[in-house]
Amino acid sequence: MLFLMSRNPEEPVYNRIEEARTALGLSRQDLADKAGVHYQTIGYLEREEYSPSLVLALRIAKSLNQEVSELFSLTPFKKGK
Amino acid sequence: MSKKNKIYWFEGVTEKGVKALLNDENSKFRWLRPQRNRRLLVILMALGLVLTSMGSYWPTLKANFNLSPGVGMIVYSVTAIFVIFATLGCYSFLRIAVRSIADAPDELLDERQIAVRNTSFRYAYFILGYIILILMVIMMFGPELKMFQPEGNDGSFVVIATFFACAALPSMVMAWRERDI
Repeated sequence: MLFLMSRNPEEPVYNRIEEARTALGLSRQDLADKAGVHYQTIGYLEREEYSPSLVLALRIAKSLNQEVSELFSLTPFKKGK
Repeated sequence: MSKKNKIYWFEGVTEKGVKALLNDENSKFRWLRPQRNRRLLVILMALGLVLTSMGSYWPTLKANFNLSPGVGMIVYSVTAIFVIFATLGCYSFLRIAVRSIADAPDELLDERQIAVRNTSFRYAYFILGYIILILMVIMMFGPELKMFQPEGNDGSFVVIATFFACAALPSMVMAWRERDI
């Protein structure tokens, strides 16, 4: 029965968290502490395996000194932009 | 961090205990984190639950194995104590393996962890429904169970196993499903 458990295929939210975080020289733990989440949640977000709530997206954007629209998108980001 | 350790009686966890597990304060439990090890624990826990509930059918099993009363009592006692303590140990390790996320209150978790916990409870509820259905079929068509009777199959082991299952299923589901905990 456990094998039959399906994951909800939700619309992916693309992000540039890792790029912005490394540009600031922050570790996942640093960003997690700033945003008030567990460091693994940052990992899930960076791998685009979890879509954040609006509140968390705003907190992460604030922690990385960016606008939400610069960090998150419903379409993939172009490389180098 | 406040010095006072808040106890969540309903959830059966403490603030410091959950935070210590969430922050990897104790590295000796890191071996529990890989999904393969967590899944192995889930299988052992399921086996422990089945064996615990089988204790209720010991008189029927004993009759089938043709054991003498003295030998039968020793085998029964030793096996029952070992299985119950092993199952309790598995349950404790399972809680550590999933960082107590399955039992922690909202205020100690972030939004992804709350979502993971809630999904685990949803699946655990479905699975518990199937377990109870299977138990009902066994009780209706299997050997007769009595409660607290000196003779015959004692149903108390089935009750203990069901309590174990209720407590452990959310952690078992989480340990099985989540890639990283």
